Amino acid sequence: MRRAGSQSARWRAAAALLLLSLMLVPPVRRTIESNMTAHMLIQYPCLMLVGVLLVMELPARWLSIAQRWNELGIAGLVGCALTLAVLMVPRVLDLALVDTRVEALKLIALVASGAALRISWQRAGVVVQAFFLGNVLPMTAVIGTLYQASEARVCNAYRLDDQQALGLALVLIAIVTAALWLLHAAMRRTGNDATYPRDQDVVRAAWRQPQRGP
Amino acid sequence: MLRTTLSTLTLALLGWWSAAWITQDFQAWTAEGARRLVVIEQPVAVPKVALAGPGLVNADLHTWLNGAGRATIVDFVYARCPTICTTLGSGFQQLQHALADETTGGVKLLSISFDPTHDDASSLQQYATQWRADPNRWAIATVRDDYQLRGLLKAFQVVVIDDGRGGYEHNAALLVLDGRGRLVRIFDDTELELALNYARSIAQKKVGE
Repeated sequence: MRRAGSQSARWRAAAALLLLSLMLVPPVRRTIESNMTAHMLIQYPCLMLVGVLLVMELPARWLSIAQRWNELGIAGLVGCALTLAVLMVPRVLDLALVDTRVEALKLIALVASGAALRISWQRAGVVVQAFFLGNVLPMTAVIGTLYQASEARVCNAYRLDDQQALGLALVLIAIVTAALWLLHAAMRRTGNDATYPRDQDVVRAAWRQPQRGP
Repeated sequence: MLRTTLSTLTLALLGWWSAAWITQDFQAWTAEGARRLVVIEQPVAVPKVALAGPGLVNADLHTWLNGAGRATIVDFVYARCPTICTTLGSGFQQLQHALADETTGGVKLLSISFDPTHDDASSLQQYATQWRADPNRWAIATVRDDYQLRGLLKAFQVVVIDDGRGGYEHNAALLVLDGRGRLVRIFDDTELELALNYARSIAQKKVGE
């Protein structure tokens, strides 16, 4: 783990805070949210990125406590998958525009799931990663197909052509992510990537003794 | 592993709870579905709104709806709308035709334009002529006061957006209002029979009271 306070960490935290404040500035937020595709494909990933960048700046002690409750990254990835599932319900997009509570919860949930993804992904190993993507990617593709195929608008606040463009993009994202991950997993299996422990070792260690954090 | 199981289960419960909250217990996945579901349980009272249109000068909406044995089917339109309002217009024409034999006058029709800037008196009159609206059955009006109009649209969750071609897209539907001035049921713009039967049933109920 990188030490907080190092030069690159400070830059990373500054960039994350800058991105977060940009996303929260009302005119920027309204502009992004006026378009369904931008709402889901710009705002969602940007807020998750904020979580990814900020989480490593938390005190190492907190992270190690969190990791005791997150062996193999299971809790983090489950939380992330559930967050994405809920936030892809069409009603959320409409509600976020008119209900401040929903908007606030949505922003917090996205930053948190970015953070969860960051601290869970590497610990997860191929098996848990496959389980996570095996849930999230088909879900994304199905929702994308529904958005494309629906004759009716699923969101009152967005146009049909916008919805169909988003649907197509979601399907493509699911396919590309699956392809990239398969490639990555295949290379890990054959290569001698020292940064990753082998999956069977990770699983065995997890069962044998509770981890005391990184 | 016990702690991880516990935290995972907690997150799963949180996810379940928020999904149930968002979808009205897994019954409505869209805002439109939720709007229609919620109004059945919790009728929405009309806010204070003054209608203006052919035959209507500053008519208070609540008073206009008011009366025992009354029910009103309302739609929201804009007069130069080429698409969905044509469906609504011809739907209302059919409803007017179906109501023609009734002498009691229990069920009325009301089209409200959400575009008062373009829909002045003459263009509303033109809309009425185009659809051969019988003024005794089918009133056509708009709300001149911007604040009142936005209040009405918000209360009924009528969402109007720019369609990118100089017009609007909006969640068109048939809204049934009772004689006490409450929105009590929302039907799809194609569900003419259902809307009419429902409106008739509440109009009759009020007579019996």
